[in-house]
Amino acid sequence: MILLVEDSADDEELVKLALQQAGFANQVRVARDGEQALDALAELPAGVRLVVLDLKLPKLNGFELLRQIRANPATAQLPVVVFTSSDAPEDIRRAYEAGANAYVCKPVEFDHYAEVVRQIGSFWINLNRKP
Amino acid sequence: MRPVLIVDDSLTIRMDLADALAGAGIETRQCANLADARRLLASELPAMLILDVMLPDGDGVDFLRELRGDERTGPLPVLMLSAESEVQDRIRGLRHGADEYVGKPYQSDYVLARVFALLRPAGTGEDKPVTVLLIDDSRTFREELARLLGEAGFRTLQAASGEEGLRRAADLRPDAIIVDGVMPGINGPTFIRRLRLDPGLSSMPCLMLTASEDAAGEVAALDAGADSYARKDEGGEAVLARLRAMVRAAGDSRKNSTDASLLGPKRVLAVDDSLTYLEELSEHLRGDGYEVVKAHSGEEAIELLSVQNVDCVLDLMRPGLSGTETCRRIKGSPTMRTVPLIMLTALEGPDAMVEGINAGADDYVSKSSDFEVLRARLRAQLRRKQFEDETRRVREEFMQKDAEVRAAKRRAEERAELVEQLKQKHAELEVLNKELQSFAYTVSHDLRQPLRSMDGFSKVLLDQYGTQVDDRGRHLLGRIRAGAQRMGALIDGLLVLSRVTRAELRMREFDLAALARRVYQRLTDGEPQRKAELVAPARLMTYGDDRLVETVLENLLGNAWKFSGQNALTRLELGVEDTEPQAYFISDNGVGFKMDYADKLFGPFQRLHSETEFPGTGIGLATVQRIIHRHGGRIWAYAEPGKGARFTFTLAPGGAK
Repeated sequence: MILLVEDSADDEELVKLALQQAGFANQVRVARDGEQALDALAELPAGVRLVVLDLKLPKLNGFELLRQIRANPATAQLPVVVFTSSDAPEDIRRAYEAGANAYVCKPVEFDHYAEVVRQIGSFWINLNRKP
Repeated sequence: MRPVLIVDDSLTIRMDLADALAGAGIETRQCANLADARRLLASELPAMLILDVMLPDGDGVDFLRELRGDERTGPLPVLMLSAESEVQDRIRGLRHGADEYVGKPYQSDYVLARVFALLRPAGTGEDKPVTVLLIDDSRTFREELARLLGEAGFRTLQAASGEEGLRRAADLRPDAIIVDGVMPGINGPTFIRRLRLDPGLSSMPCLMLTASEDAAGEVAALDAGADSYARKDEGGEAVLARLRAMVRAAGDSRKNSTDASLLGPKRVLAVDDSLTYLEELSEHLRGDGYEVVKAHSGEEAIELLSVQNVDCVLDLMRPGLSGTETCRRIKGSPTMRTVPLIMLTALEGPDAMVEGINAGADDYVSKSSDFEVLRARLRAQLRRKQFEDETRRVREEFMQKDAEVRAAKRRAEERAELVEQLKQKHAELEVLNKELQSFAYTVSHDLRQPLRSMDGFSKVLLDQYGTQVDDRGRHLLGRIRAGAQRMGALIDGLLVLSRVTRAELRMREFDLAALARRVYQRLTDGEPQRKAELVAPARLMTYGDDRLVETVLENLLGNAWKFSGQNALTRLELGVEDTEPQAYFISDNGVGFKMDYADKLFGPFQRLHSETEFPGTGIGLATVQRIIHRHGGRIWAYAEPGKGARFTFTLAPGGAK
């Protein structure tokens, strides 16, 4: 299961549509902020195989969430893809420092957007093929 | 140089002065009366006049007034030469505009020195010949050297011994001296040492000649303070070359100081009502090179002092008379009191001395004393005056230096303060810049989100509900998507523009041709079906920030690609122009543009084509120009409608368009 941490309902919808187009529907759990994400991870420690994380989140923001994921031995190895609107070099640097595995900027154009999401999805599929 | 006009009815004087001036290379014209002088002046303007006062057909002072009234002759320097013993004549002459006044009998060197002094200010500049004093005991050698120097444009003076040399150097202030090292009496090194000791002469450039072939002569010459050195056996040309170099090096010191010199000609004012004693005194002192101005009363003396400077005043006091009063008045005047004043008296005994000293006299000599005593006292007073002058000059120089140092220090402090302010402003600016940058990112982040929704959901509508809307509905949805995408591109462009403005340049050498081929590859990958070629040199090394220059090429090649899409074959070219600094160009065979709008090309959001014709944001060329400017380079464009465009740029400062 993919844990999508995203406060924007529009983006949630777009990610879901894109995954659907790519054939990965119904395997997404959504958290609206950092705290919900931590709850979800605590609830289903083994079920979540990939976190797709927005940086701008209410309450606990993306960087803090990422650090907590890495600090917890149960989730320290979990793949995290940062998926955000920002292409500020400062954000990219901080995200990798906090332990992101990949940083992907959300394209405006939906075709590009869908392609990027498809690639994140296949990354996840490949992860799950491993024993 | 123009000649000097001598107007004097005495043939002896005319001949004597003409000889003295000719010896210094100065030509003369001679007139025996005023009528001749007027005639000559009508046809020829001399450099200056030496004018007698008593002339057969009139008064010299009246003639002087006539000269001063005429525009042409008004500025001429005039030296009055008069046998008049009356101080009133001297005062009258000086009041009516005489530049100098010398009493007869005179010493030729004294007159010559005054002539030099008068010609100096008018003759400053390159046309004034350099005067060289030759001191050698061999007449043949002197004449030979004088001839050689004369041919080379120098004016020469001669002296046969070190003693005579010192006197003439002080009197005539030559621009340079050539002195023989070996002479009887005062030899070369001693001469130079003496010269260097006299503050008025110490800076005079001096070349020493010697017969010796070893280095000892040179060492001795330089030890003594010679500026240059030549061996006699090297020949006249070598001496000439050294002389030229020395005079050139001396440069400014050619404006020979007119500071008091111990050895120079001195003017002494003697005050006494006894003509006989004055004559006797003047006779004695003239032999030492002094000019004695004779005043018959204290009033006359003070009147004269107001029009002419003197080096010393001799006040001959008689019991109970005006001597002390004159002394008091001279010493009480701020302009005259620095002149040394020696009081002479017929009275013996301490009372008279005390009275004189109390009145302000600098020294006191009894009339009955030997003239030798007076001479020695006079020299002592002159020396004291000279040292005082020197001390004052040094103090003034020191104070000026001190003021300069203080001003420099103040400037340095002000500068440091400015630098500090600048640093602070810079830091503030840095912070502002950072804030602006993060603001730009935040804004673009927030702007992109709704655009994604507009584009994404329009796309979903088209894909999933396309059948439920008609063609026009689908077209409008397409328009919404195009608008959203265009706004996304605008935001991206603005972010790049703001980034290149701020980014630190990382300069290195790189291959511009290879970079162009990479960018071109990406363009063709996007439209593989298009027939196109890129013409570029195999290798084109340049120096700059290759990441930023890649943005330049992306924009220029991207534009070239975009605007030549309607051609059967797209032909892009990267070339180099052999200028300094090197200029590179990107050209295409596309639609081009009218040069009327070329100056608008590089402004942000400026577009020469409509959006429907060729899509674009209008930020690309602004970004390109920003990057070029950050490299110190320039960019310009040339195009013709239908014949393509060519953008040329440099990556280093300099060069002309």
